[in-house]
Amino acid sequence: MSEDTSQDLLRLHAEDLFAEELEHLQKHDDHPRPKNWHLSPWAVSQYVLGGTLDSGFEITPKYIGNRRLVEIAISTLATDRALLLYGVPGTAKSWLAEHLAAAISGCSTLLIQGTAGTSEEQIRYGWNYAQLLAHGPSRDALVPSPLMTAMDSGQLARIEELTRIPADVQDTLITILSEKTLPIPELGTEQQASRGFNVIATANNRDKGVNELSSALKRRFNTVVLPLPSTLDQEVTIVEKRVREIGRALELPAEPPAQAEIRRVVTIFRELREGKTEDGKTKVKTPTSTLSTAEAISVMNSGLALAGHFGDGQVKALDLAGGLVGAIVKDPVQDRVVLDEYLETVVKERKDWKDLYRAFREVG
Amino acid sequence: MADPAVFGIRHHGPGSARSLLRALRALEPDCVLVEGPPEADGLLPLAVSADMQPPVALLVYRPDAPSRCAFYPFAEFSPEWQAIRFAVERDLPVRFMDLPQAHQLVDPELPETDPDDDEVAVDGDADADADSDGDVPSHLDPLGWLGRAAGYADGESWWEHMVEHRLDGASLFAAIEEAMAALRQEFPKPLGESETQRESRREAYMRRTIRSAQKEGFERIAVVCGAWHAPALTQRLGKITIKDDDALLKGLPKAKVEATWVPWTYGRLAQSSGYGAGVPSPGWYDHLWTLRPDDGDTAPSDVSIRWLTKVARLLRDEDLDCSSAHVIEAVRLAESLAALRQRPLPSLVELEEASLTVMCFGEQAPLDLIRERLAVGERLGAVPAEAPTVPLQRDLTKLQRSLRMKVRADQSTLDLDLRKPMGLDRSHLLHRLRLLAVPWGKLQDVGRKKGTFHEVWTLAWEPELAVQVIEAAIWGNTVEQAAARRVVHRAEQAALPELSRLVDQVLLAALPEAVDKVMECLDSEAARATDVSQLMEALPPLANVVRYGNVRQTDTAMVEQVVDGLVARVAIGLAPACSSLDDDAAARMTALVSSVDGALRLLEVEEQLDSWQRALGQVAAAESIHGQVSGRCCRLLLDAGALNDDEIERRMGLALSVANEPLAAAAWLEGFLAGSGMVLLHDDRLWEVLDRWVASLGESVFVQVLPLIRRTFSQFSNGERRQMGRRAKTPTTGRRGAGSGAAGDAATEHTGLDIERGEKVLPQVLRYLGLDAETIRQASAK
Repeated sequence: MSEDTSQDLLRLHAEDLFAEELEHLQKHDDHPRPKNWHLSPWAVSQYVLGGTLDSGFEITPKYIGNRRLVEIAISTLATDRALLLYGVPGTAKSWLAEHLAAAISGCSTLLIQGTAGTSEEQIRYGWNYAQLLAHGPSRDALVPSPLMTAMDSGQLARIEELTRIPADVQDTLITILSEKTLPIPELGTEQQASRGFNVIATANNRDKGVNELSSALKRRFNTVVLPLPSTLDQEVTIVEKRVREIGRALELPAEPPAQAEIRRVVTIFRELREGKTEDGKTKVKTPTSTLSTAEAISVMNSGLALAGHFGDGQVKALDLAGGLVGAIVKDPVQDRVVLDEYLETVVKERKDWKDLYRAFREVG
Repeated sequence: MADPAVFGIRHHGPGSARSLLRALRALEPDCVLVEGPPEADGLLPLAVSADMQPPVALLVYRPDAPSRCAFYPFAEFSPEWQAIRFAVERDLPVRFMDLPQAHQLVDPELPETDPDDDEVAVDGDADADADSDGDVPSHLDPLGWLGRAAGYADGESWWEHMVEHRLDGASLFAAIEEAMAALRQEFPKPLGESETQRESRREAYMRRTIRSAQKEGFERIAVVCGAWHAPALTQRLGKITIKDDDALLKGLPKAKVEATWVPWTYGRLAQSSGYGAGVPSPGWYDHLWTLRPDDGDTAPSDVSIRWLTKVARLLRDEDLDCSSAHVIEAVRLAESLAALRQRPLPSLVELEEASLTVMCFGEQAPLDLIRERLAVGERLGAVPAEAPTVPLQRDLTKLQRSLRMKVRADQSTLDLDLRKPMGLDRSHLLHRLRLLAVPWGKLQDVGRKKGTFHEVWTLAWEPELAVQVIEAAIWGNTVEQAAARRVVHRAEQAALPELSRLVDQVLLAALPEAVDKVMECLDSEAARATDVSQLMEALPPLANVVRYGNVRQTDTAMVEQVVDGLVARVAIGLAPACSSLDDDAAARMTALVSSVDGALRLLEVEEQLDSWQRALGQVAAAESIHGQVSGRCCRLLLDAGALNDDEIERRMGLALSVANEPLAAAAWLEGFLAGSGMVLLHDDRLWEVLDRWVASLGESVFVQVLPLIRRTFSQFSNGERRQMGRRAKTPTTGRRGAGSGAAGDAATEHTGLDIERGEKVLPQVLRYLGLDAETIRQASAK
C-alpha cells in the first residue's frame, strides 16, 4: 500500500499501522516460532503489551490490562484450540483479536462478521454461479470464505460476535475446529488446514442466551473473559491514548483534551457502572447502558470534534455534556431518572465540577 | 569445635523439605536443632507415632490464661517436620532452639484477644515468609526484594522457581544463606524497634542452643531455621560472642507455660486465614509432596496431569461437565503458558489459568471452588492419644470415642433419635459443650416435622475449638462437671428471661445438680420481678420443658411447680400491665400474650387455663386498653370457645362503633384478625359489622386508617384474601337484614344441590371438628 493511498484511508489495519514495530520485532525475535507464525509467542506478547527492544526500539502497548490474560490468549492460539474472547461490549475484544491476528499471521483481514443473517456459505464457501453454469463445478467456481482462505494459508481467521450467528450455522465450525478440515462434497474433495491456522472468536456477555454455544462447540474454544479496566488510572490511560490516536487519524483541529477532563468522564462512567462513587461513600443508581471504556473514548472524541469545529479548540465541559447524556441515557425514562439523581447528588456536590453540572443542565 | 551446618528453609515449602532431607542424608548429623519452642522438646518423639497425622500444630499456652498461646503448625511437607522425623526415626537428639515461649507469652503489652490475633502477634514470623499479603509493609518482604530484583512479580513465585522446583541439596542452602546475608546487610533493620529486639533475642537464643550442643561434644550439628535467620546463625554477619548473647537474654521475664499437640487444618495453614507464616495453597504443596516425596522420580508433567485430573474429578462431582478431553487441552495450555513465560514447569498459576480457560469457560465461580477444595484443601490432622492434653480434653476424647462421634473439619449432619440411649447421650454431650462455649455442633431447627424425639445437629470441628476446650478447663475436669459449674455461675448473675432459657438448656444437657440451682435462682427472681412482661417471656421456654421433658427422661416436677407460680403471677398482673401502652409496647404485649397463650394451651392444665382466660376476659372487657391488645384477647377467647358468637359480634360492634377513634378501632381489628381472617368468612355477622364500619368512614379518615388495615390484611393467606375479595364484590343487599339463610337457599336452588342429603353428613363432620351438639342444632336450623 503506497503512502498516498494510506493517507486517505479512514482507518488502517493493525498490520499496516504498526508495520514498523512488527518489522523490528521480527528482526530481533530469536525465540522459537510455531510453523507459519510471523512472530514467536514471546514476541507477540511484547507486541500486544508493549516494551522496549534490545535495540532500544520502543513498542507501544496495544492492550492495557492484565498481562496474564494476553499470555493465556497467545498460548491458546499456539495449541490447536480456538480462542473465544468474552466480555461486555467495549472491552477491547475485537481490538485484541485484530492485533493478535496481525502479529501472528501478519494479516487481520480474514474476518467473518457474525449476524443473525450469517449463513453457512459465509463460513464455508459459496459459488460463482456464472462459472458454475458455464464450466460446471470446479475449484475455480468456488468462492472461499475468509475461514477457508485462512485454512489454506495457515493464518488466523476472526469471527466477530459468534453468539449472534444462528445455532445451526455455528455448528458448521465443529468439524473445522476438531478435524481441521472443511469437506467440499460437491467436488468430492476437502480443504485441510495448514499449520498456523486457528480461529479467534469474540462474543459479548450481554448477548448471553441469544444463541448460546452448543456444548460441543464450546468445548473447542478456550474462553478468556476480558474485564473492564480495574482501576481509574488504568482506564484514564486507555482513554487518553485512544483519544489521541483517533484524533490524529481523523485530523481533528482541536488539541487533545487535558487529562483532567478525561479523568472526569472516566470517573462518571465508572461510578455509574459500579453503582457507587469512587470514594465508596455514596451509592448511585446504575443505568441500563453498558458505559464501557470504548464509549468513554467515543464521548471524548465527539467532544474533541465539537471543540475543534465549533468551539475554541479546547475541550470544555459543554462539549462533553451532550455526548455523556447520549451515552448514559439509553432508556429515555429510567436512565433519565438515574442521570438526574446522579447530577443532583454527586456532580452538584463536587466543587470543581460546577461547570460540568451547568453544562448538563444546559444540554437538558 | 565444628561449625554447625545451617539450613535456611521456607516454612511449609515442599521443595525446601526435599532438599533438606537430601542434605541431611548426606551430612549424617549427630544432632538436629529446629526453630521452635524449647518447651515442646519432650513432645518431639510423638512426631513419629502412627496416630500422628499432619497437619498438626504445637500449642504452647499459659495454663493460668489459656487464651494466651502460640501455634507452630506443621504439615507433612514442612521442612521442620521432615527434619524432626528424620532425627527421631534415627534416635538422634533433636531440640527446638527458638526463644522459649515462656519469655514471649509473658509480655503484658500483647493484646489478650482471640487466638487468631495472638498467632500473628506471637508467631507472626517476620522472616522469609511474610510476603504477598497486602497488609504486610514492603519493608517486611525480603523475598519480595530478591524476587523483584530478579524480575519476578513477587517473592513467592521467585522462590518457587528458584528454590522449590530445584532438587539439589547442600549447595542450595549455601546459596540461600549467602543471598539472605547480602539482603540483611543491605537492609539491616527491616523491622520496628520492638520487633528488632525480639528478633535479635530469638537469634541469640538460637546461637546459645547451638553453642551448648557444641559443648556437649556433638560434631555434626544440623540447624534448621527460617531462611532469614540463617546468616545470623552462621555468624556471617560478624562475630557475636557469648557475652553479647547473654546480655541480650539477661533478666527476661518468665511465665509458666505448657505445650501440647493439637490437630490443625489446611484451611488455617493458608495465608488467607490471617496466619502470618502460612502458605497460600497447602493442598497444592501437599500434591507436590505426595507425588514426589523425597526424590525426583515422578516425571515433571505428571504433576500437572494429576493435578488437572483432580480438578476434573472435582468438577464432575459438582455436576459440571468436564471430560478427559478438557484435561488434555488444559495440560497443553498450561505447558505452553509455562513455555511462554520461560519456566521449566507449569506452576499453580499456570494450572489455575488453564483450568479457568478450558474447564470453567472463563467463569470465576468454579475456579473459586477449585481453590477452596483443592489448592487450599480441607484436610484435618490428628494427634495421638498420648499427646499431653488438658484433663477436660481427655474426658471429651473419651466421650467422643465411647459415643462413636468422629471429629471432622468439614460439616456433617447428625440426626439423633432421643429415644435411644446412644442418641440421648450424644445429644447431652453436644448440649453440654454448647454450655461450655465449645460450639462443636449447631442445633438445626427442623420444626416439629420429625416429632420431638429427634434432634438434627450440624457438626464441624474447627481447630480453635481445641483452644476453647482448654479455656473451658478452668470450670472442671470433666465435661459434665465443667458445664454444670459454668451454668450455675451464669445463673447467679442472669436476669429472668435468660434464666428460663438456661433452664431449657440445662435440661437438654441433663445436668441435674445444675437444674436445682438454676430453678432456685429462677424462683427467687420471679418473686422479685415487678415486670410482668419478663415473667411472660420466661414462661414459654419453661412450658416447653414441662411438655417435652419426658422424652429426655428428665425430672420436670420442679419446673412444673415454678410454672404454676409464674402463671398465677402473670394472670394477676396482666390487666394492669396492659394499661396505658403506646403502639410499640402494645405490639410487644400482643406478641407476648399470644406466646403465653400458646404455651398454656400446650400444657393443657385446667386451672392454669381458667385463670389465664379470666385474665384475658378482664383485658378484653376493660376500657382504655390499647385496641390491639384487647382485640387480641378477644380473639384468643373466641378461639378457646370461651365467648359465643353473639358476644363476639357485640364486642366487635362496640370496638368498631362510629363513636370510637377510627385509629383505635383499626388497632383493635389488627389485634383481632392477626394471622388469619377465616372468622370473617365463617361468620356473616362479623363480616357485616366490619362492612358497616368501613362504609361509615369518611374519606379523610379512611385514608388515615388504610395503612393499618392493609397491614392486617396483608398477613392473610392468598386464598383467604381472594375469598374475601369475592365476598366483597357480590352485592350484599340480599344478605343484609335477611341474614345469610335466604341468600344461601337461593344459591342452592340455582346450583341444584340436594340439601337434605347434604345435611345428613353434617353431624358427623361437626363431630370431627369437635363442635358440640348445640352448635350442630343451630347449624342445621340454618
